[in-house]
Amino acid sequence: MKATFRRPAARLGGVAFLVAMGLALQPAGRGHAQTPAQADSALIEHGAYVAVLGDCMACHTVPGSTSYSGGLPLATPVGTIYSTNITPDRQTGIGTYSYEDFEQAVRHGIRKDGKTLYPAMPYPDFRHIDDADMHALYAFFMSGVKPVHHQDNAPAISWPLSMRWPLAWWRWMFVPGTNVPSAEVEHDALADRGAYLVEGAGHCGTCHTPRGFALEQKAFSPQDGSAYLAGSRIDHYTVSNLRGGDIVGLGSWNEDDIVRFLQSGRNQHSAVFGGMADVVYQSTQHMSEADLRAIAHFLKTLPPPADNRKFSYDPAVKQALFRGDVTERGALDYLNNCAACHRSSGMGYEDTFPALAGNPVVNDPDPASLLHIVLTGATIPGTHVAPTHYTMPSFGDRLSDQEVADILTFIRSGWGNHASSIDAEQVGKFRKLIAPTNEKKTL
Amino acid sequence: MPDKKILKNRRLFLQQALAAVPGITLLGMTGHQSLFASTAWAAPGQQTPYRPTFFTATEWMFINAAADRLIPSNEDGPGAVELGVPEFIDRQMESGYGHGEFWYMSGPFVTDVDFTLGYQLQFTPREFYRAAIADIDQACVNMHGHVFAGLDAATQDSVLEKLQAGALTLAHIAKPAEFFIQLLANTKEGYFSDPMYGGNRHMGSWKMIGFPGARADFADWMLQPGRVYPLGPVSIQGEKA
Amino acid sequence: MTTTLKSVDAVVIGLGWTGSILSMELASSGLSVVALERGAYRDTSPDWTYPRAADELKYGIRGELFQRLSKDTVTIRHAIDGTAVPYRQLNAFLLPNNVGGAGVHWNGQHYRPSPEDLKFYSHNVERYGAKFLPEDMTIQDYDVTYDELEPYLDQFERLCGTSGQAGNIGGKIIAGGNPFEGPRSRGYPTPPLPDTEGALRFAAAAKQLGYSPFPQPAANCSQPWTNPYGVRLGPCNLCGYCERYGCYLYSKASPQTTILPALLQKSNFEMRTHSTVTKINMSADGKRATGVTYVDAAGREVIQPADLVILSSFQINNVRLLLLSGIGKPYDPRTGTGVIGKNFAYQMMSESALFFDKDAAINPFIGAGAGGQQIIDEFNADHFDHAPHGFVGGGYILGGTTGGRPLQQLNVPPGTPAWGAKWKKAAKETYLHSTRVQTHASVMSYRDAYVDLDPTYRNALGQPLARITFDWHENEYRMTRFVTDRALEIVAKMNPKSHTVTMRRPGDRFNTRQYQTTHITGGAITGANPQTSAVNRYCQSWDVSNLFVFGASAFPQNLGYNPTGLIGGLTYMGAHAIREQYLKSPGPLVSA
Repeated sequence: MKATFRRPAARLGGVAFLVAMGLALQPAGRGHAQTPAQADSALIEHGAYVAVLGDCMACHTVPGSTSYSGGLPLATPVGTIYSTNITPDRQTGIGTYSYEDFEQAVRHGIRKDGKTLYPAMPYPDFRHIDDADMHALYAFFMSGVKPVHHQDNAPAISWPLSMRWPLAWWRWMFVPGTNVPSAEVEHDALADRGAYLVEGAGHCGTCHTPRGFALEQKAFSPQDGSAYLAGSRIDHYTVSNLRGGDIVGLGSWNEDDIVRFLQSGRNQHSAVFGGMADVVYQSTQHMSEADLRAIAHFLKTLPPPADNRKFSYDPAVKQALFRGDVTERGALDYLNNCAACHRSSGMGYEDTFPALAGNPVVNDPDPASLLHIVLTGATIPGTHVAPTHYTMPSFGDRLSDQEVADILTFIRSGWGNHASSIDAEQVGKFRKLIAPTNEKKTL
Repeated sequence: MPDKKILKNRRLFLQQALAAVPGITLLGMTGHQSLFASTAWAAPGQQTPYRPTFFTATEWMFINAAADRLIPSNEDGPGAVELGVPEFIDRQMESGYGHGEFWYMSGPFVTDVDFTLGYQLQFTPREFYRAAIADIDQACVNMHGHVFAGLDAATQDSVLEKLQAGALTLAHIAKPAEFFIQLLANTKEGYFSDPMYGGNRHMGSWKMIGFPGARADFADWMLQPGRVYPLGPVSIQGEKA
Repeated sequence: MTTTLKSVDAVVIGLGWTGSILSMELASSGLSVVALERGAYRDTSPDWTYPRAADELKYGIRGELFQRLSKDTVTIRHAIDGTAVPYRQLNAFLLPNNVGGAGVHWNGQHYRPSPEDLKFYSHNVERYGAKFLPEDMTIQDYDVTYDELEPYLDQFERLCGTSGQAGNIGGKIIAGGNPFEGPRSRGYPTPPLPDTEGALRFAAAAKQLGYSPFPQPAANCSQPWTNPYGVRLGPCNLCGYCERYGCYLYSKASPQTTILPALLQKSNFEMRTHSTVTKINMSADGKRATGVTYVDAAGREVIQPADLVILSSFQINNVRLLLLSGIGKPYDPRTGTGVIGKNFAYQMMSESALFFDKDAAINPFIGAGAGGQQIIDEFNADHFDHAPHGFVGGGYILGGTTGGRPLQQLNVPPGTPAWGAKWKKAAKETYLHSTRVQTHASVMSYRDAYVDLDPTYRNALGQPLARITFDWHENEYRMTRFVTDRALEIVAKMNPKSHTVTMRRPGDRFNTRQYQTTHITGGAITGANPQTSAVNRYCQSWDVSNLFVFGASAFPQNLGYNPTGLIGGLTYMGAHAIREQYLKSPGPLVSA
């Protein structure tokens, strides 16, 4: 009904969230035989939480449709694939999966029919999920999720990449052994729990670890070297480096900052954007405080690079702008477009408008996120602990390529930031990359 | 006395305007001299003259001539015509505003009420311009032998003053002063509003008075009361000065 | 064909300030709540983002955020024997529309009432004698004291993150604040915003005259503020686009910046926009509201049954819906009996624009709807002895500008024509060097100032328009003369090169063309007696105990301050009573 405005996703909270995801509070399993009839509600609830940890919803649900019924198109470098129906529907979902079938698929990427899943399914990470969580997850999907009859879409990948047998080869080649325990860091139980979450269900490395020539994840744990969680690029966004570097990395964040970020999508330094906004909204904000603290604690064990440089705030830009001195290239454009929120100090406002000074996203050698946000805008999702959904509008139609370049160069060198300059050609190329029709303004 | 450069621009504009409006007649005009002296339609630097979509050729002449008297161009700064106010008004006539979407337009229309009870005529903005310009031009022809645009500046001013005072009788308008209120309001709107609406070209009026336009951020300047603000204006679409 | 929906616990009519507060408070109590809003959903993004919000034509002049008068308006006449004509163009006051209501486009001038404002009849009679009040003046007391209301005034300030300087905490007068304010339990959530140049000049002059200027309390945060609902506001930067505009910086308190982000997360709350309530439905015995009838976006008639009905639309719409629904006895100005429509009031402003030398960089474009201005409160309420002056009421005097938007806020010196070369020259030469001093004052209620249904004019749905009968009275002419003279003494002390004076003088009629304030009040007033008021102290209808009516419609007369702070306080008090008393034992909260 048009007259009715509702934000379905925006109203979920706590238990309501679990219910909305399909957790049946009434006796489970009417009509789907495979149900472990005795699956108790505590186990199902535990499984629902594991599903939150794994953010299964993100890929397996088309926004606005029934939870876990699949069909979300996922653009991969080889073509578009569609997520599958993982509701317990017997014809079109996973209703006939035994626990063993389920475990093979989730941990090893092997379907019930023996074929290999596209590695968009992060089974290399899910190898770390332990048996208790895996049983709970199975109970949840069998008894806590409403079966939906929805036929999977065929992937739109052309031959020869459409053949699935090379995927098995890929799996043998690039996915190290099975059931690898997650990292143990100096017998630190909190860090171990964090590692379990980050490396396992949370599958952070899927996005945050760079990939190799065959799109294989270069590292699965800290032991695999400095590539682990060293940042990447997805959907034309720079994916942040989560290691200990100060300029590019989480070096300047303490554990509270990380917890706050994952819980609320914002903290005194920065704000979430791009794909991570969905992760915060759908997954991390629902994680327990203890688990978030474990994640933060583990991430803070990742070392900085050998040539780590500390950020040191330089007030020169702030002082010049305060005087009204806009002689520096990009300064006037910064004042006309950015300073209202990010302030002439480049410090923004804590938990409100992100700081640009010392922000790793600003200082990243890859300016993709900066370009993307300036051209298209960004919204911090409203979360339970921080419901305000601050939005930065898009400036793509207000700024020319040269102006964008000038502004980005200005902010990447101001206040003590230290990143490469940007030229208009880069901006123009990026515009075409993210939206070929996104013409620069004619004024 | 307008300087020669402005006069030259006016001539240029007139030629373009006439070329752009097919079928225009100079009926009722006294000749080129008064035409040039009374109508400053030039937008310096504007290459293609704006072609009105709502106003007819004669209405367009009126709008240009009236706007030029309401905010003339001189050494103090740009006038309404060079900032595109006629274009602004023409475009507004095509908007929801022009069609009366913002006003309560149901009858009965009781016009013999106290002025303080507000506008009570039956015209939407579009209808008002259409009816009033025809009546004013007719009144000018009756009084002075020429349509408004064909009068000299001093006579135009006196017509506008009469209109403003409600002393100009118009055949179809119960309260002629209401039209002056509308005309002056729309003229100032075109003069001062954001350039994206067609007027205030290159933020000419904002530069003249010192208004920063759409910068809308004075976090630093609220800490420096009494200091001269050094920055020029910016428009919503990002034009800078 | 009319569709009847499943019953809900509470239906809320209008999702502005009071509707949002009630929706939040009731949904937090676990009730299923449906809010019906006739306008559209509006939010900071995409509706007023930077820099598109800085559009004077769209928001300031055309009134993008206001009620489209082509769909609905009011009619106005000056006297009970006159013919009312439609308010065809928005000028004198602005009628709100859409989610957030007037809470989106207000200034953020956030005051509490003075203690005597709530006992205005008995206070004045006690101090000056019953004969001091004109015979046709119908002012009344609220049935709530300042001290009873204080926790709720405070609650609303916490919601908004209001910036300001307290002048009286627990009876202790604090330098720099308003020494005339009632005792506060604590200070403002955030400190005052910095003063603009115009405000500084005003404050200096006021001090020289022995007054106590203080920063105008502003629901424009001076620092980021997280309110009790967890919603966070950003800090104001005096952008100059405040009243009539949405705040792009999340600084001005509005339902969008203080309540809706948390409210919309609640699964037991539902908002339906483009849903215009046409009637509150009643049980056969006329004692209970059974829900509402509304027209949805497609023009279909829908009945929404509910156990509790919250009427929380704008003042005039509250009154009209009560009249259309046949709830309460309509007011009759000839007999003075009846209550619905009674005691309509407005406010009275005066203004002086000041022009200084070219070396005075006043920069009037730096301003907020409230922050950055300075006030004196010596001549408001009953802060001074009225006995020699022959009037009651008063107002505050403020210095500074809310912005320098050239279409609405560009002043020219006295004697300047409205157009032509002289006007342009004046605009150019004085813009940067001008500021304003204004008075913002009360209007009492009178027997002949009221609201009823217009017999002739109808809205787009075919329903009669509300008809306002209103004009100025002698008390207000005297009041404005006195308060304006005090303001002009300050103006003189500021020593401008020239200044204008705009005020209402005896004989001037209420002019619907001149904007003064949007603060129209009354028509469903609160009080202690069902014979003389429409709602009790909790804004509960005397006649229909499961109906609550919130907003400025409850004001028995209009005070000198901006009304929103008092509205917020009354609303939170009512919400608290519903949660703590009514829901446990539905029925009248005050026995008649």
